[in-house]
Parts: sequence; structure tokens; C-alpha cells
Amino acid sequence: MIVGVAPGRPATTVAAVRDGALVFSRQLPAAAGPPFGGLAKLAGGLGARAVCVALDLEDAELAPVAAIRVGGPCPEVLAPHPAHPGGATTIVRGGHSLTGRPLAPLDVDAVRRFAGSCGLSDFAVTATGSPVLADHELAVAEIVAAEVPGARITLSYEFGRAGLREREEDAMLNAGLGPAAVRVAREVGQALEGLPPYFARTGHGLVSAHYFRRYPLICRFGATASLARGLAVLGGESEEGAARAFGAALGQPVAEVERIVQARGRAELDRVLRDARDEALTRVVSAGAAPGSASIASLTVNPLSYLPHGLYRVRASAGGATP
Amino acid sequence: MIGAGELARFAAGSRLFATGAAESSYRLVLDWAGSVIGPGVPVVAAEALAPETVCVAVSLVGSTTALGEQLPAGDEPVRAVRALERRLGGRVGAVVALNLAAENALLPLVAAALLEVPLVDGDGTGRVFPLVEQTTYTLGGVSATPLALAGGGGELVVLETAPDRVEAVVRPLVLAMGGWAVGACYPMSARELAGALVPGTVGRLLEAGAPGADRAVAAPYGMKTLCRGVIAAVEGSSGHGADLELPSLPSSIVVEETGGLRRLVRLEAHNEIVLALADGAPVAMAPDLICLVSAADQLVVDVDKAAPGMEVEVMVVRAAPVWHTERGQELGGVRAFGVPL
Repeated sequence: MIVGVAPGRPATTVAAVRDGALVFSRQLPAAAGPPFGGLAKLAGGLGARAVCVALDLEDAELAPVAAIRVGGPCPEVLAPHPAHPGGATTIVRGGHSLTGRPLAPLDVDAVRRFAGSCGLSDFAVTATGSPVLADHELAVAEIVAAEVPGARITLSYEFGRAGLREREEDAMLNAGLGPAAVRVAREVGQALEGLPPYFARTGHGLVSAHYFRRYPLICRFGATASLARGLAVLGGESEEGAARAFGAALGQPVAEVERIVQARGRAELDRVLRDARDEALTRVVSAGAAPGSASIASLTVNPLSYLPHGLYRVRASAGGATP
Repeated sequence: MIGAGELARFAAGSRLFATGAAESSYRLVLDWAGSVIGPGVPVVAAEALAPETVCVAVSLVGSTTALGEQLPAGDEPVRAVRALERRLGGRVGAVVALNLAAENALLPLVAAALLEVPLVDGDGTGRVFPLVEQTTYTLGGVSATPLALAGGGGELVVLETAPDRVEAVVRPLVLAMGGWAVGACYPMSARELAGALVPGTVGRLLEAGAPGADRAVAAPYGMKTLCRGVIAAVEGSSGHGADLELPSLPSSIVVEETGGLRRLVRLEAHNEIVLALADGAPVAMAPDLICLVSAADQLVVDVDKAAPGMEVEVMVVRAAPVWHTERGQELGGVRAFGVPL
């Protein structure tokens, strides 16, 4: 049995699902304390293997973010612009070209000064060229961690998207959602008294609480996605909370990796593809898949136009099953 | 005039048949243009300029993916044009586009705004070709050189070489600059430009980019849908053109037609799609423009983002008549891409 949970006001809806079919749905007793009171008792009584939570992370919950971009100077309109007015930004020298060449040595002093003086603890780090080589993002993370104990640090390369500004927007949003995600994960974890929770992703699939805390951005519209999925199976007439809870329970752990890689010749390409596959598999296990269940769902390789031979965009997606 | 109000229309029009345009670099140049356009850039016909006005073509040279990753410092268009002026010993009086695909339409606008000169209504291809010398300017007898390149890291190069050596020299330079540069090239008088450009294309895009306008407005010489289908495979190609000086590797995209004859349409791409085969028979080829339009969002799918499962429409846009002449075929036809047809 898998239990789907749709937190809501005034009451939270729970759906019990077996082999992809809805067994029943009901609301948690409001007397037990919303939004998750009574959940552990119900899930435990059903012998649930997994509890899947469908929620949207609202923009209103965004925390102020300290954004560090590693790269050259640019017109003001192209500089980082964090969503929260309390945010802080800096651009420090460094980064790599798409061919992996260093553009400039990383300005470690500037990173240290900014980290130590910005007064924030949610960091988004985006380095030019990080889809090819993430060294400077990792180096910045190390400095920030030393400078700001307890800092939560999002590195843009983990979102993989091509395009510095797009990746930076993702990283800033992820960092801003961090505190809310940590709070929600704690609430759900406490309510479940030991049962492992999963969170619905935007799009399709689930991730573990650990993954959710680290990459809340991929679950930003988990409730909206679950509702669409649930309605698609149950039909448009069904009650919204039930459809949402059911949709979440239909998901399985999913994770992906996107990189730009350089490979001269078939043997080297095979090796970097193997690395991308391995990383996607590792990630999906981290996202809550039972290790034996993880497999590659898709792998695409495209040569990049107008760049030299041997530069490819690689995307690997892996799926698995909840234990 | 392209001002803040017209910019969105112009930008939308420039994407209708833009191949090889990365989303991030397009957004970037659009935001950049919005921040420098001020009261607006005048758009003029080449004939309306004084005949001796010096005009230059401005274009992105290299990879849009690289531009989206390594951002411009902001002074590249001005540095490139000023370098060319120093070489020419005269002031540039107007900017024209090399082609009008996405960032290549917007970058000349940025240049014109920064230089405070008009943008000429027209361009040098009427579509997109991968090589700097594949233009109607070349067909009209204008040399691409002297050519100036300004890179995002402060690099500046002025290049003089025989026209057929431009590509071989430019590519490694651009690569050393990180994968992209702003190029100022084809310096010519307004009189020469008037005889060599594909006219009126800026105005067409402004019209075609209006909400609800027909995509066909952006295709002055006609267009058709080759098929609707689903991408079945993306693979390394049969290996045509392996010995050519072309940026990047060839690849093939196979589309399975969903209706009609359920044909297998194979698209041979080499930066751009150069040939379409339906069940093995050629049905469209360069110099006409072949592009994939996503059924999901009606945007052109980049060759390097095509993935199995995507629902697409394969469209063919007829090239300007000059491309269908013998010399046009030689410069931009399918044989120029190494396909022996």
C-alpha cells in the first residue's frame, strides 16, 4: 500500500493506493491537528510502504538569497537579480569557457569578503562554464562553508541547464525555497514517526525528503502536477484533494543529470556517457529509489552547433521504485 | 523605427524560422536590446541612405550556447565597429544584419542603438547559413573583409584575408575567445548594399511578430509544411561532409510522419538542416531553409536539442531567388554542405 497526502485547509486528504488503483480516500481528522495530525496512525494501520506528499512551494515563502556569480563584468540588465528584496549579489572573477579553458583565476578573496559580510545564510553559486567544469562552483562552496557556518549552498551546475542566467535563476530560486522546504520536511517527518516521506516533483515522479530539502525547486509545483496526474486517471469529476493525493501516490523516484561534455572520439564519448549514466543512477537512489530498482530511463546526446568537434549536450534521466 | 513598443514584435518575428538559436542567448540579447534601445532605432531602406554612407553588417559569430554561458561585457558591438572604422578611415553611418534569426536580428539592433545610427531594412541571407561568407552580399560582389571581431574577454581582432579563407581563420579565433564574438564585416557603401541585400526583411519580421499574425508573413518567397510527425531518432549521420571545414559534426534526425503516408523523413543536419529525405527520396534541400517547429510551443527546435519523442512539424522556407541561381547554389546549395546531389 502507498499513501498519497494532499495537505490542505481546512483538512488534509489522504489516498490509499494499491497497484496503481485507488483503494479509498479520506480526510484526516481535523481534531488531530492540521495539516499532518493523525497521519502516522493511518499510514501505519494500512501498512504503508511509502507516503507521498503533494504540495506547492509558494513564492511568498522565498527567503533572501546571497547570489555569487563567477564570471566577467556585464551590462546591468544581465546581472543577477534575486527575487527577495533582502537578497545580495556579487560578481567575482573566474569561470571557464565551454571548451573548459579557465577565463580567469577564481577571485577567492572577493568570495570570502562577500560571504563574510552579506549577513545571509542561503547561497546560490553560479560559475561561467560550470556545465562543463564545476571546479569554481565547488571552490566557492568550500570558501562559503568555511566563512558562514551552517550555510545552505545551492550550486547551479547541479541543475545542469545551459545558459548562465537560466541556471542562476534556478539556483537562486532553489536557495530561496530552502528554508521553507526544510521546515516542511521536518513537519512531515515528525508526523510520520519514522515512515519515509516522499515529495511529488513538478512534472512527474517523486523524491526523498533528503533530496527535497536539497533541491526544493524541482518540487515547486508538486501539488499542481499531482492534481493533473490524478485527474487524468480518475476523471475530471473527482474531488480535488483526493485526485491530488492519488496523483502523488502514482509517482516513483526520478532524477536527472544534464551536462556539457567534451569527448574526442568514440571511446572517450562512451566513457563520459557511462559517467553521466552512473551519476543519474546515484542521484535516483539518493532521491529515494531502492538501489536494485534504479535504471536509466533515457539518455540523449546532441553535438553542439557552431562549436568544435567533440562538444556534446548530454542528458540522462533515471527512474526507480520506492522500497 | 524599432522602439520599446516594437521590440517584442521584432523579437517574436525573428524566432519564427530561427534555427540554432539557444533560448538563453536569445533572452539575453533581447534584454540587452531593451536596456539600450532608448527612444528607438530608425529602420531605413538602403536606398534612402546617402549613396556613399558606409554600412557594416553586424552578427554573432560562433555559438549561441557559448554566448548564453559566457555573457557579453556590453561593449563588443561598439569595439568591433570602431576597429573597422579605424581600418577604413571613416565613420560607419548604418548597420545591417547578416541574417535575421533570433539573436542575429537583435544584435545589429543593439549595435545600431549603441552607435546611434539607423538599422537598414533587409539582411544578407533571407535565412540562416552557417558560414560568414554565405551571404547575398558575397553574391553581390562585396567582400566580408576587412572584418573585426570583439570577444567577451576584451579580445579584438581585425582580419584581412581572401574571402574564401575567412571561415578557416575566424573559427579558431572565435574558439580562442570562448566560442563566440561580435563580428563587424562586409563594409560597403549604401549603394552597394542596396544592390546586394534581401530587402524589406526587418519590416516583414515586425509584421510577422505581431500577435496572431501568420507565420508565412516571415517567408516572403513562400513556405510549406513537409510533414507532421514525431522524432524517432537523433543520431550521428552517414558521415557526409567529414572532410569539410564546417563548424561542428553532422547529425541526422529521423521523423516519423503521424498522418498521411506515414513516411520516414530523414533530416541531415550540419549546424543547420541541409537535406530532407522522405522514404529515401530528396524532398527539400539547401539553399531552401528546412526547420523543425515544435507542436508543443510553435517554436523552432534547435538541431542540438532535438530529442526522440518530440512532436514536430517539418517546414521548408523558400530561399530568396538569388540563392537559386547557379552562383547561389554553389555558395549555399546542398553541395556546399558536402552532400553530393
